[in-house]
Amino acid sequence: MTDKVRSLEEAAALVSDGDVVALQNMATQAAPMALVRELIRQGRRGLGLVCLVGGMAVDWLAAAGAIDRFIGAAVTMEQFGLCQQYRRGVEAGRIRVEELSETALNARLGAGARNLPFLPTRGLIGTDLIDINDNLVVIDDPFGGPPVVACRALVPDVALVHAHRADRNGNVQVEPTILWPDIGIMPKAARRVVVTVEEIVDEEVLRRNPDRTILPGFAVDAVVEVPYGAHPTSFHPYYGYDAHMHREWARAATDDAAAAEFLDRYVRKPASQTEYLDAVGGADAILRTVSWETA
Amino acid sequence: MSSAWQDSPPADDYTVDELMISVLASTLSDGDQACNGMASFLPVAAFMLAQRTHAPNLVWLAGAAGLSPRPAKVPASTLEAPLWRDSVMYVEQYGDFWTYALNGRWLEKFCVGAAQLDRYGNANNSVIGDFHAPKVRLPGTAGLGDMGSIGKRLYFWNPNHSPRSLVPKVDFVSCAGYLGGGDERARLGLEGGPELVITNLAVLDFEPESKHMRIRSVHPGVTVEQVQEATGFELLLPDGEVPETPRPTQEQVRLIREEIDPDGMRKREFRR
Repeated sequence: MTDKVRSLEEAAALVSDGDVVALQNMATQAAPMALVRELIRQGRRGLGLVCLVGGMAVDWLAAAGAIDRFIGAAVTMEQFGLCQQYRRGVEAGRIRVEELSETALNARLGAGARNLPFLPTRGLIGTDLIDINDNLVVIDDPFGGPPVVACRALVPDVALVHAHRADRNGNVQVEPTILWPDIGIMPKAARRVVVTVEEIVDEEVLRRNPDRTILPGFAVDAVVEVPYGAHPTSFHPYYGYDAHMHREWARAATDDAAAAEFLDRYVRKPASQTEYLDAVGGADAILRTVSWETA
Repeated sequence: MSSAWQDSPPADDYTVDELMISVLASTLSDGDQACNGMASFLPVAAFMLAQRTHAPNLVWLAGAAGLSPRPAKVPASTLEAPLWRDSVMYVEQYGDFWTYALNGRWLEKFCVGAAQLDRYGNANNSVIGDFHAPKVRLPGTAGLGDMGSIGKRLYFWNPNHSPRSLVPKVDFVSCAGYLGGGDERARLGLEGGPELVITNLAVLDFEPESKHMRIRSVHPGVTVEQVQEATGFELLLPDGEVPETPRPTQEQVRLIREEIDPDGMRKREFRR
């Protein structure tokens, strides 16, 4: 067995300038934010992001000038509004968008994971999304039915995901289960996989509930223990999203200087996860965000 | 389930969000399956209302993630865990949710919110202006790009009826409606399509031949002229007098205010 445990710095170094990065993030949920911060600290440039629904992670990377393209179905912080730094980047021509419907993104990643040239979907027929995208082609059904959309395989250079626990060999467990394709298919499609986890546990812990193990260690390149590693996004059932910080960012993001200041304070200055947690009010405060129902 | 809803008289004290919720709820039948996406406070409230009144067997797939949940009330997010608390099943998006949605036997209806909607029910959540050099980058199509093409019956809700949101032609089709109208949608082999548009002023449908948007009813206190003025193109009119949208019942209003959405999340979608 190979020890896959790495530091945040070492794991982030598996992402190179220009890489296509599949990033877990469902609006305000479950983004590997500690890794995102480390990528910004290391000054990564020219990244392409792949998200089902990107949120604050996309906006921070856009504000830091780390990305020049986005592949995915949407970018939004839901009730906290649009991602303004990403939006400005697209409107100014700094970020190119390949917009896909959910089934088209799933098909592209599924084809990548299974080493197929493409997978078809019945979605998107009649929309303009096909016309603007060289990776989508309407083809005849070889068996005589209505046409379908062939979605070209997408193989990201690296997948970044956050999970509940892993052992030192990189076997990864989630609790309760896989909900979004981020962790279900992205790591299987990507060439390299980096997983941050709330805790690294003894292999014996995984053996008690092998049904919850969703990624085998052989498919994982690095595993990093980062408690509260998804903050300020939510990580069900451990903690809710930080509504205060989402609002603070949403305000800052409308102004380039305020956005840069925000990133200095919460991303560039804290040198470790411990320092970051201190800067955002401490772990106790994060656990109190279970009041998220009305926030 | 409440039994008082059947005999309850129309409410005098109600707000337009409550009226829109009652109209949305009326589109759901007992035994339907319904699911919701992001920032969908009115559909979520409508599902919860339908379950408490005429559709106790409505199956709700909350946030496309949790089956038959028991949220205490409408939460601040319609995608996050508080919405799908106490579900009987978690549904995984990649393999499960889209399999049930694409299959054709289930989840026949879908509620759609759109930044732009045009006279033939095409929707845009992608860009204002040119796709590659947009004036405004909108959030993106998410699942709508699929829902418009896979046979679903689409129910649009629009809390801010205006010439900006109801336009002659969308800048970009990110959800297929009736395309250029007539039989263009059918010729592509697409089933289903837009059924109703429920706004803060009126309920609109689509004339069966031309597939052009048409007034179905105007809300109490709203005139046809006001609806027309707030629309970016000329709406068709129904034969005869334009009906008035039924008001919610007193019991429906009570359920919405006291049980379903005491925090007033439904009001967040309206421009203040």
